[in-house]
Amino acid sequence: MAEPATPPEAAPVWRTRPGRTAGAAGTRTLRVRLSAALVLATVLAVLLVPALVPLDRQAVDLASKLLPPSWDHPFGTDEVGRDLLLRSVHGLRVSLLVGVVAALVATVAGTAVGAAAGALGGWTDRLLMRLVDTFSAVPHLLLGVLVVALFRPGVWPVVVSVALTHWLSTARIVRAEMLSLRSRPFVDAALSGGASRFRITLRHLVPGVLPQAGLAAVLMIPHAMWHESALSFLGLGLPAHEASLGTLVQNARGPLLAGAWWPTLFPGLLLIVPTLALAGLAAAWRDRLSPRTRSELML
Amino acid sequence: MTTGPRTPGPRTPGTQPPGTQAAARPVLRVHGLSVRFALRGGRYVEAVIDAGFELAAGECLVLVGESGCGKSVLASALLGLLPGNAQTAGTALLDDGLDLLAADERTLARTVRGRRIGLVPQSPAAHLTPVRTVRSQLEEAVRELTGAPRAGRRAAAEAAAARAAFPTGHLDRHPHELSGGLAQRAATALALVGDAPLLLADEPTTGLDRDLVHRTADELRAHTRDGRSLLMITHDLAAAARIADTVAVMYAGRIVELAPAARFFGAPGPRHPYARGLLAALPEREFTPLPGNPPALSALPPGCAFAARCPAAGPACAERPAFTGGLACHHPAVPEPARA
Amino acid sequence: MLELRSITAGHGRGTPAVRDVSLTLEPGTSTGLLGPSGCGKSTLARVAALLHRPDRGTLVLDGTPVTRWRHRAPREQRTAVGVVFQQPRLAADPRLPLHDLIAEPLRACGRRPEVRTRVPELAGRVGLGADLLGRRPHEVSDGQLQRACLARALVLRPRWLVCDEMTAMLDASTAAALVGVVEEYRADTGAGLLAVGHDPVLLERWCDRTVHWSELAGRTP
Repeated sequence: MAEPATPPEAAPVWRTRPGRTAGAAGTRTLRVRLSAALVLATVLAVLLVPALVPLDRQAVDLASKLLPPSWDHPFGTDEVGRDLLLRSVHGLRVSLLVGVVAALVATVAGTAVGAAAGALGGWTDRLLMRLVDTFSAVPHLLLGVLVVALFRPGVWPVVVSVALTHWLSTARIVRAEMLSLRSRPFVDAALSGGASRFRITLRHLVPGVLPQAGLAAVLMIPHAMWHESALSFLGLGLPAHEASLGTLVQNARGPLLAGAWWPTLFPGLLLIVPTLALAGLAAAWRDRLSPRTRSELML
Repeated sequence: MTTGPRTPGPRTPGTQPPGTQAAARPVLRVHGLSVRFALRGGRYVEAVIDAGFELAAGECLVLVGESGCGKSVLASALLGLLPGNAQTAGTALLDDGLDLLAADERTLARTVRGRRIGLVPQSPAAHLTPVRTVRSQLEEAVRELTGAPRAGRRAAAEAAAARAAFPTGHLDRHPHELSGGLAQRAATALALVGDAPLLLADEPTTGLDRDLVHRTADELRAHTRDGRSLLMITHDLAAAARIADTVAVMYAGRIVELAPAARFFGAPGPRHPYARGLLAALPEREFTPLPGNPPALSALPPGCAFAARCPAAGPACAERPAFTGGLACHHPAVPEPARA
Repeated sequence: MLELRSITAGHGRGTPAVRDVSLTLEPGTSTGLLGPSGCGKSTLARVAALLHRPDRGTLVLDGTPVTRWRHRAPREQRTAVGVVFQQPRLAADPRLPLHDLIAEPLRACGRRPEVRTRVPELAGRVGLGADLLGRRPHEVSDGQLQRACLARALVLRPRWLVCDEMTAMLDASTAAALVGVVEEYRADTGAGLLAVGHDPVLLERWCDRTVHWSELAGRTP
């Protein structure tokens, strides 16, 4: 109770408006946490499982071919008796590696081109953007197939092929962001303060687009993983001993016709669930990026 | 009075339109309104603290204060437009007893916004849809708010435009083809469509030049002649002086003075030292600033928030002054006016 | 002397925002330029600050005709004119704390050693406490941010100041405080001022002389 000396200002009863944002915010938080947990689980799995599970499960064992899921083989076995859990996790590891490296390479390349085009403008901009248009005109998969076909099968041709087809969107995003930043009065203020164009680019413009570029990179990882899987599914990706999830799904076509669903389902799920979780995290990040430009009070 | 000519017409607070009872309830009664934002780590920023005022039919109340004092947060709270981390306390009752702070989103969206409170926005350019003509936006608002049949919409839209002094010949233009003043009138017309008894104008004159400020303020004021109430939020004292019946001064989240405009801008002037300082800072008066900066809302002192900048501050100011008789100050510059 | 001679300037195609405008500023004096919003006075202010290349006409800065603009202009010419814009939130890099915002011109001009003395001195002048200097723009109010932007414009001790609607977004007290800082700086250094605005009461109180946009525009030489 309030003291008698201070009349009306009793402790206020705080409330949040029912139904407006508390529920939606709760769902959003739950989704972010679930996504984060799944991504963490994926990373732990690809790091730990190969170390913990005995390697002999990779061995061909024709006596136990195409066994359905059981306690001994939670994901079942493939048509030559290899444990599918272990092969799927290995495949996920390869897919994730290709996805992350390809996304990084594509983002660095895209940011460099986009930043150069946006900062320099003029004919440099025109030349670089026509280059981007030219690359965009070729269908992704076709370009990917071409690149892979030029090299011997392996991880690097796939990385190069995925990166080569994915830096374009980043370049466009970064250039657009640079152009938008470049017309802000704070660039005028920096010019008036004696800053060179180089300094303005490095100190004001590039740091301003890095969050966007980072977001683009994270959003690109799932995309790159799917692309790799598609190439592998077409038989153009990784060789059999470096099986990725795409390779596994491709190999499972035969057993699927014979009624064995598990060699398709489990690698497929391992591709879908982590990529969705990663995309969910990236979306939450994107939502966080915008309100920071507002003033303090509307938080 | 040095802030330009006053508008003619009745200016007494609570002027009733013909045909309504003189003892009608206030259109809006705000009591003990507080808003705070929950931050990470269980901290809070109190943006509005224990605000209270009443708004009669036909009255124009202007809430003045510098940027970041919490006045826009107060407006958002009345419309239920606060972000999800905001919490409110107190009551804000419409004349039939509906509490704006307790009502759910559905009620606010379906019966309050546009119908009972019309919002005149800060930036009409951002408020209007750039790809559609003013007419189509007005007609859409008519459809949403009144459910008028297709045939009646055109007439209703034109009537709203006419009341906002928006020229009919410009109705088929897109927002980017309008000047700043016309865009402001288009936004006002949108706010008038629902025939709301209360208009809430949040910084409607920011970025307009002086002539346009005067015209916009006068036009808003004109809408109170038919019994509408106007709650205007602004940092522009000249605009406030032009149209207000009552002035509420906000400082660091609190209303520190609530006074009739004639006494506030005329003689003997405001009673709170902060309000006096604000008026003295006007270029048409002494043009001398208040010393120092307002405190951050996240680090308010326990006592009077203005004491650190106040010429009259004394030991009593270590304790927070209660808001009584339209004032929250231990050392008012002018004694309480005798009641007539 | 800062002379704008028959300036025509605009943005791309269409009718130019500024057409054949001439204005001369004497050193040490203050000139108020009054005009309705959207009349092109901001474009003229940007020309005077070497931030906008005019289509026609010449700018003569302290006797030297300006031939190159924006980043191509010699640093010595660019930094001779300090600028304050209308909207502090757009005029401040959102990532820089206020201290770095004010220090940035010194760093850009290779005068890093002066940061330690100059920044606290200017922060005190514009009324920013040490606690505010560590905050980023989104953590301060418009008024506090505009104080920092004014400090940034003064940090290189420009011979000219261009204030484009500096106080339009601010409350009366902050506006009076910032005008006071500008006048104090001008009294110390003898800098000339071009104050662009739409409030006749403010400009007449602030400036030695006030010219109306309609008196400048459209006069053929």
